[in-house]
Amino acid sequence: MPCERKPMRYGHSEGHTDVCFDDTGKYIVTCGSDGDVRIWESLDDDDPKSINVGEKAYSLALKNGKLVTAASNNTVQIHTFPEGDPDGILTRFTTNATHITYNSSGSRVAAGSSDFMVKVVEMYDSSQQKTLRGHTAPILSVTFDPKDEFLASASCDGSVAVWKIEEQTQVTSWPLLQKSNDVINAKSLCRLAWQPKAAKLLAVPVETTVQLYQRDSWAQVGTLSDDLGTQAINVVAWSPCGKFLAAGSIGGLLTVWDVESKLCVERQTHEKGYTVCGLAWHPSGGQIAYTDTEGCLGVLDGLSSSSSSSSTTTSSTMTKAPASYDDLFDDDDDRPLDEGISEGARSPAKNPGDEDDDDDLIPATGRARNRSAFLDDENSLDTGSLKQGLDKFVDDVGSAIVLPAAVAAPLRPVYDGPMPTPPQKAFQPGSTPAHLMHRFMMWNSVGIVRGYNDDQDNAIDVEFHDTAVHHAMHLTNSLGHTVADLSQEAVLLACPGTDELASKLQCLHFSSWDTNKEWMVDLPKGEDVQALCLGQGWAAAATSALMLRLFSIGGMQRELFSLPGPVVCIAGHGEQLLVVYHRGTGFDGEQALGVQLLQFGQKRRQVIHGEPLPLSRKSHLSWLGFTAEGTPCFIDSEGVVRLLNRSLGNMWTPVCNTRDNCKGKSDHYWVVGVHENPQQLRCIPCKGSRYPPTLPRPAVAVLPFKLPLCQTTTEKGQMEEQYWRSVLLHNHYGFLSSSGYEIDEEGQSQAQKEQQELLMKMFALSCKLEREFRSVELAELMTQNVVTLAIRYASRSGRMALAQRLSDLALEKANQLQGEEPQEEEEEPLQYTRRNTGYSQSSSEMGADRQHSSHRQAQEEEVDEEQGQEEHMDEGDVAESKRQGLNPFAKGTAASPEKPSPKPVSKEGRVNPFKVSSGLGRSGSAGGQNRVTNVLDSMMSSSKKPTALLSSSGSTGKLNKTPFLKPLAPRPKTKTQSTLLHMNAPKAANKKAAEEREPAVCRLKQTEAPPPASPAEDVENKKHKSGFQLWLEDNRRIILADNPDLEETDVIKEAIGRFRTLSADDRLTWTERAKGQSGDVADMKKRKRGEESRGDKNGQSEADETRQSEADETSAKKKKPLDTSTKLSAFAFNKN
Amino acid sequence: MDPSEVEFLAEKEVVKIIPNFSLDKIYLIGGDLGPFNPGLPVDVPVWLALNLKQRQKCRIVPPEWMDVEKLEEIRELERKEDTFTPVPSPYYMELTKLLLNHASDNIPKADEIRTLVKDIWDTRIAKLRLSADSFISQQEAHAKLDNLTLMEINTTRSFLLDTLNCMYKLRSNLQPGSSGGKSQDHQ
Repeated sequence: MPCERKPMRYGHSEGHTDVCFDDTGKYIVTCGSDGDVRIWESLDDDDPKSINVGEKAYSLALKNGKLVTAASNNTVQIHTFPEGDPDGILTRFTTNATHITYNSSGSRVAAGSSDFMVKVVEMYDSSQQKTLRGHTAPILSVTFDPKDEFLASASCDGSVAVWKIEEQTQVTSWPLLQKSNDVINAKSLCRLAWQPKAAKLLAVPVETTVQLYQRDSWAQVGTLSDDLGTQAINVVAWSPCGKFLAAGSIGGLLTVWDVESKLCVERQTHEKGYTVCGLAWHPSGGQIAYTDTEGCLGVLDGLSSSSSSSSTTTSSTMTKAPASYDDLFDDDDDRPLDEGISEGARSPAKNPGDEDDDDDLIPATGRARNRSAFLDDENSLDTGSLKQGLDKFVDDVGSAIVLPAAVAAPLRPVYDGPMPTPPQKAFQPGSTPAHLMHRFMMWNSVGIVRGYNDDQDNAIDVEFHDTAVHHAMHLTNSLGHTVADLSQEAVLLACPGTDELASKLQCLHFSSWDTNKEWMVDLPKGEDVQALCLGQGWAAAATSALMLRLFSIGGMQRELFSLPGPVVCIAGHGEQLLVVYHRGTGFDGEQALGVQLLQFGQKRRQVIHGEPLPLSRKSHLSWLGFTAEGTPCFIDSEGVVRLLNRSLGNMWTPVCNTRDNCKGKSDHYWVVGVHENPQQLRCIPCKGSRYPPTLPRPAVAVLPFKLPLCQTTTEKGQMEEQYWRSVLLHNHYGFLSSSGYEIDEEGQSQAQKEQQELLMKMFALSCKLEREFRSVELAELMTQNVVTLAIRYASRSGRMALAQRLSDLALEKANQLQGEEPQEEEEEPLQYTRRNTGYSQSSSEMGADRQHSSHRQAQEEEVDEEQGQEEHMDEGDVAESKRQGLNPFAKGTAASPEKPSPKPVSKEGRVNPFKVSSGLGRSGSAGGQNRVTNVLDSMMSSSKKPTALLSSSGSTGKLNKTPFLKPLAPRPKTKTQSTLLHMNAPKAANKKAAEEREPAVCRLKQTEAPPPASPAEDVENKKHKSGFQLWLEDNRRIILADNPDLEETDVIKEAIGRFRTLSADDRLTWTERAKGQSGDVADMKKRKRGEESRGDKNGQSEADETRQSEADETSAKKKKPLDTSTKLSAFAFNKN
Repeated sequence: MDPSEVEFLAEKEVVKIIPNFSLDKIYLIGGDLGPFNPGLPVDVPVWLALNLKQRQKCRIVPPEWMDVEKLEEIRELERKEDTFTPVPSPYYMELTKLLLNHASDNIPKADEIRTLVKDIWDTRIAKLRLSADSFISQQEAHAKLDNLTLMEINTTRSFLLDTLNCMYKLRSNLQPGSSGGKSQDHQ
């Protein structure tokens, strides 16, 4: 807006005021409730002349050097102007006058009073007065018809009346206003105004609008309103030219309308929103003076430029109604005013030289302001288009063509392209804005740094979440630090430089073991710290010189390097440094940020090379940091949390949207920390704001993560989300182990277990939905052991094609795992991490698992020995079995004759699972097997089911599944392999047991046995056979003869059926026979077991065997303990 | 029942604390507590919260209802209604007392809260007395009072029962013809 609102200044004491200009416009004259009239030479006049006119002054009018005031002593007095000498009393009322006004020539004064009367008094002879009676309530305001014929008045009785002065009669009256009993109670002062010069229109403020009534017809011809005006208009005033109407409202809104077009050309609000009760135009029309009920005086300046900016409208109105305005221009007595307006309209087009000519006509101040206002306005726009606009304007004016209203658009040069976004300022993640008096300078996982900067105090409070780190600190902030960071080792503070002082970096190294716990560094002159962070053993500061300086935590200066752009923020964690800077200019609300991730320590390198930071649309960065586990993470102003996905080429994956959790639109979450394990987003809920206040102390809330996957309402979507979230948020294990940190193995295996379980669930779901292709896709993500489980599931639900594919897959996986082992040593740790997510089982994890499980199993074994009870069932959980499942591969490697030497020690010093655990693994797996057998044994003991049946199901399984696993057959039947496959069996059985507890997952048919048993069987069968197998061998031919068209599986089924029908004794005989075959070996081992420790697998199994036989003497379980079918049969039993 | 016993029961209520130490889950008979992460709110029973607070190991987050505005609302409602209104916690009085005595520095406007809770308590006890009075004066056989807390019942129990006993005795002596004779028969 071209109009300039000057700051208000104190004029009178609180209360009603009035204002007017003198004839020349040189003075502003005000009166107020302190009874004084003040004469201001300008708004800046510090010593206005005061004239006391009474206890209170209600209204004033000034013309021809005579100042008329309505004072509280019920008189209307005259003073000379500008001298201020009393010049008699014009008239009296029985109570005070409320409003007085001159007629256009200044020959008469009209005064309205609270005694319901309006008097019109001749100035030269106060005895000649006319009284207008008719109102039934105090008069609010009066106004003269410029042609002196009529007078309009508004009253508290709600009416606005027009009087014929000479006849003292009411011409017309409109009930427009709200009724009230006194002026002070009236909603609006309703200061009427008659259009000067033309005298055609009477403006009446009614509520929030101004109604225009036409002279003579007294019909309402228009309404001026403003959308923003929500409060009643108190006072209106016409511009001296009569084209514009200004209004002041109760709410302090000042509006100027172009009356002809009824457009609002100017809008200003009172700086404090007080009620405007006095309003006056400068005779030149370029200024409006106004006063409020608080006694303050204000001026709106440069108004004619507002009319000039709407010059098109002005000129068009001039052409449209030339006749009406012609006479207006002709007969008017103060032509300069008029010129002022038109001059204002033309001035931008004119050469400044031209203007000098009519300087005498126009008050200089107004002119200068017009021009400057105009130029200021245009300066902000593109100069090229300005010139163009001006040229056009000049052309138009020169050719005397009146601008149509439409030209207004090209006049205003518009840049349509994308607008550059102001770059976001540097900030500290976890801090509230610096302009706050009480703010958080840092809130992170270590503690809180609060800054106080008020009248009494400029201080910093440091508080630690964990008081074990350090006690709370209170520092006086004499240097004026504005940024801070906090770590377990130190507090880092920095202040910007001033003219005299350089920017300083201060570090309180409280964990130092010497007595000097503080150091300070001055930055070079002109370089300011903009962002800083602390890592482990180092501190970093990004400066305004696009530099990043590294310090050791003890204060030694370390590396420094240049940043590609102005820094936004930096964050540190361990040996990692994350820098975000402005890559360029963003457009349309977007920021163009780049990110670098650097790794210090042993392997110094840049992990992310200044790639763009993917923010949400039209958002800016609001938090940057690392998760507690060390994964880079950031949050934008839209509340989207993104996590670096190291396994996906260092891409950023959105993991949460904090805004989804907000109740209100203006609520936000202020993030203070991110944890991957447990999955927590720690943040402070801020109701209706972005930042939390320091008091009352905000409480931290925890939000869950949720990947924005599609259709998360469906079961499938939910499981997918859970799975990928789990994968993503457990990436850090890979990273941590690769960078040599200790990792929480239990957590990791827990995570894997969770992932595999989810995969299995999804597999089951897609099987149910007949999505076999998808099932195979899922199986590809599974570990080898879970695939075997999936195979079983598939085969049991009668999906042979699927099972076939899965078994191929399982084989592939097994080969892959074996093939991988030799390569592992050469691989870079990071790649290794990446590979992880592919199927989430890297060798290191396996190693870890094995160590873990072996350890655990060893413990369990002890218990076993002592108690040998069923409680172990509980522990034979899925996780356990999975871990066991992993073992065979590793162990197989170690024990394999083909790979006789253990893996070489990794040069990086990272744990080589294979090497370390080769011994352990063996014992672990042995223990595992032992335990499993044990569990099953105990189940056995509690049951009275004939084992022969159970073992038969095992062999059935074998025969059944042989085709699927055939590819394995050609491979040498080394001990490795047998162990490998053997190990699968208990695992599967256990898994099965677990599944039994989850009815949703699987429903297996009783007679079908786990497939993986079969190869093991092959091996085992060389040594011994179960009772059923012996029986089967004998009877197979008979069965085949009976049912020649039977398939192999069916034969077995049939065989089982028949075997079952045999008497218990018969079955026992067969079992005894079977036992007899292997009994010698077993006995021998039993003895051996007595002497040896539990290292030997066979021995252990033997131990179980012993226990088992004790438990169930009648059981046919006296065969070779290694027999997988035992477990499988147990499994089958379990099913029963 | 002793008021201290009621207070003991109240100590089982769960309250949020912000610990300033780090500790894994602790396994207690009553259930598992924790894990305790410095700066992260965790739910613990009041007895533990107070113990930790006294050792300056935590800050107590006041329960949601322990807020001046909410309590004012409750107080107004309590005053308006003739019957007992539901209270924010079955142990509001005990919890207020315990928390304000031991952790008033963690509770904003502790004094106002103390006054408000006392007001609510007084209003309710007055109602209780009034209903006891009308119960006796109208010689009702039974009365039903909803939304009373244990502590409130406890304050009036012993007195009311003794009183009723006494009155029964007095009454039976007044009417030797009927009840007096009966009682003698029993003897």
